[in-house]
Amino acid sequence: MQGKNRSIRTWRLIAGLLLILILQGAGTLWWVSNSRAQPEEPIEFNHQVMVQLGITCLFCHSDAMRSPAAGMPSVQKCMGCHSTIATNTPDIQTLAGFWQRQEPVPWLRRLRLPRFVYFSHRVHVVVGGLNCERCHGDVGHMTVAEPVVDLNMGWCLSCHDQQPNKQQLRECVVCHQ
Amino acid sequence: MTSRVTRRDFLKIGAAGLASAVLAGCQSPRRWVELEPYVRPPEEELAGVPTWFASTCRQCPAGCGVIVRTMNGRALKLEGNPEHPLNRGKLCARGQAGLQLLYNPDRLAGPVRQAQRGSRQFEALGWNEAVNALYHALDSAGGSVATWLGTTTSGHVYDLFRRLTSALGAPDPLVFDLYSALNGYPALAGGQGALPGYPLGQADVVVSFGANVLGPGPSAVRYGIEYGDMRSQALGQRGYLAQLEPRMSITGAVADRWLPIRPGSEGLVAAALLRLIADQGLGGDRAERAAALAADVDIEQAAQESELTTGELQELAQMFAAAERPLAIPGGASDAAALSAVQALNAVAGMGGQGADLPPAGTPTPVRPPLSTWAGARDLVARMRAGDIQVLLVHGANPAYDLPPGAGLAEALSNVPTVVSFAPLVDETAVHADLILPDRTYLESWGYEVVSPNFGLPMVSGQQPVVTPVFDARSTADVLLTVGQGMPAIAAQMPWSDEVAMLQEMVAGLGPGEAGGSGAAVLWARFLQHGGWWSASPPAPVTVAAPSAPATVAPSQYQGQASQYPYHLHVYVSDLLAAGREASQPWLQGSPDPMTTMAWQTWVEVHPATARELGIQDGEVVRVVSPYGSLEAPVYVYPAIRPDTVAIPSGQGHTDLGRYARGRGDNVLKLLSAEARTDGGLAWADLRVRIEPTGRQAGMARFENRVGVTEGFINQGFPGE
Repeated sequence: MQGKNRSIRTWRLIAGLLLILILQGAGTLWWVSNSRAQPEEPIEFNHQVMVQLGITCLFCHSDAMRSPAAGMPSVQKCMGCHSTIATNTPDIQTLAGFWQRQEPVPWLRRLRLPRFVYFSHRVHVVVGGLNCERCHGDVGHMTVAEPVVDLNMGWCLSCHDQQPNKQQLRECVVCHQ
Repeated sequence: MTSRVTRRDFLKIGAAGLASAVLAGCQSPRRWVELEPYVRPPEEELAGVPTWFASTCRQCPAGCGVIVRTMNGRALKLEGNPEHPLNRGKLCARGQAGLQLLYNPDRLAGPVRQAQRGSRQFEALGWNEAVNALYHALDSAGGSVATWLGTTTSGHVYDLFRRLTSALGAPDPLVFDLYSALNGYPALAGGQGALPGYPLGQADVVVSFGANVLGPGPSAVRYGIEYGDMRSQALGQRGYLAQLEPRMSITGAVADRWLPIRPGSEGLVAAALLRLIADQGLGGDRAERAAALAADVDIEQAAQESELTTGELQELAQMFAAAERPLAIPGGASDAAALSAVQALNAVAGMGGQGADLPPAGTPTPVRPPLSTWAGARDLVARMRAGDIQVLLVHGANPAYDLPPGAGLAEALSNVPTVVSFAPLVDETAVHADLILPDRTYLESWGYEVVSPNFGLPMVSGQQPVVTPVFDARSTADVLLTVGQGMPAIAAQMPWSDEVAMLQEMVAGLGPGEAGGSGAAVLWARFLQHGGWWSASPPAPVTVAAPSAPATVAPSQYQGQASQYPYHLHVYVSDLLAAGREASQPWLQGSPDPMTTMAWQTWVEVHPATARELGIQDGEVVRVVSPYGSLEAPVYVYPAIRPDTVAIPSGQGHTDLGRYARGRGDNVLKLLSAEARTDGGLAWADLRVRIEPTGRQAGMARFENRVGVTEGFINQGFPGE
């Protein structure tokens, strides 16, 4: 009797674990596919063309030197040039549609720091003297900008550790305020 | 023979399941967050840097100063304005939730017309068409226009309505809502708009006659600060607070002594204390003053009526008379007679004339709109029913929810040819309207509030838009100015191009105040920057006039026979939903009530002994029946209430007001009489009810665990019971 009970229990345990393994596998697959998938932007914005024409990063992301966030250009700023330039391309016509409807362009955020990390563009660009490519990669040679670094703590510290004031820059509260 | 999963197996499987759930949950399906840049950016805005605006809270009529954190043109967080002398940087839960009024998904997107009243089929209108419709309605109605406003309607909107109706030859707007009625504002204000403020912080002995000062009363945040001051006075003195009320409120919970007196006997206790001070010569000079003001009260009878012992009355009288700075605070249930007895106690205390502060005469602040009593509101309903009113304008009030059903508002409204509502959300009254011209909510509009109670310092809180309007709502003040400009008789009464011009003129008239400056432009800038205007120094305090004659208080006459209706009903203002306006805000719906931890519903508080006697369990649905109506709600067994009293909070039972308010709980007003008290107040404190068990059990949304709190006591009896 006892042996039979034990075998039922063992089978149940195995079946349960199998089910969990299958669920886990499905979850992992879903996660991997999801995290690798690139999203569809409302407009396939081409950074390369802009940079080749001599437009600097700060022209559009104009708050990078004076604010924690670099900012995204307003639709009004885009239309400042594109009401006359390249008006017959499909992307610019999409842009003009947003402007006509007075709607913001719903760009997607590609790089995101967790909420518990304090990061200031102004400090890195103005005080640290970094250029944009140091973190964002060679956006000037990309069509649609894609993240080139994984913004994790080790990566941040790998740079902080090379600074002359590295003792200060290793303090927790520098980033976790 | 059954095979069982052992505890160890269960833990193993559980842990594995949890791990897979966590792994799957790591990645939200919405991986990509949308960035919404401006279409046209404001010049001074920096990405990632918040902009703060100083404005005024409008969740209740107190007029606390707020600062609002905005980012990319969106309001993110409300805090108290640290500069504001009323609330000094503090803000209550209701104030914090104001964002949910601004961003409420059920707000009207623009003006609408309702072809058939009550159908909830709204036809969108353009603003030109809507304003024209209002214009034509007013133009043809002439003097038969009535205006019903609430206590949170901005001062300038009241002023414009008053100018409009007076030019049309109609009576002044009526200001009446449930919040002011349940808190006893009309009686406290004595026919005016300004309320007395009781300087709790300076008192060493406080006797509160049912005043829930830390709850949703006249100025909850300021009284919270005053309470803190009272408990930490100079030289380590700690004030003493005695709370007299039938059901323990949040103020009763922090009091040094909670005395559960019979509902409606507050005035009698105050009169008895006066008599005792006079007869026994307590407190030196105070006894002489009391002798002039004490009515003929039989102490034994007062003790019997209130169900205090004569010893307790004696003790209170002695403590009050012997204190250095004693203070008596009247509660919302007080009628004129009870109020006069409590005020007489303050006159006897002679706290340097600080019993109550009213705006001193001659200060430049505009006047707060006078409040109507329930009798005044009833008169208007009667005129509507008689067909004397052609056009009814409703702003900031919700009479279809705020009045007892016996008042017959629905029938009266059907006799009014045109009903116009200015509600941003479709409320119970707007459902009966022909035209809804939604006003902007307070975080997107201009205005001011004359602070009251002001605790001795004249203040005008300034209100300014902190975001661009979320919906196509239009300021009611501008709508009225537009309408006025079309009628020559009214245009002269409303000489402003828009509401901002009107407010600028008002601010220029206030003078420099604490922020200083000169010239209209500078004064206006400082008004906006600091969030209002307040006096540089407090003027000489003014007291509410002491009653000249002895305060006679008759024993309470209860509505309903004791044999048929054995329990007293105690209606109290919900700490979170107040009188129901805030029911549209899910943060407040979901916040647990401070005394019971209940949320999202209506409940009936019943003493454990009473529950045992009636054979009802916690969570069982009962029918509460009064001589005027009935409602059903689950029982919350509450040890801190008199066994002969049941308590029900206000605020729920909406049929409209958006998805979060609709269809939750019941409206306690169903139980009340439509008759007014002798002093014109709403009679909500002297009602008797009976309880009928239904045998059904309801789910209770609450935070606390009942095991060990009251469950054991229900069966075994409370200590000392």
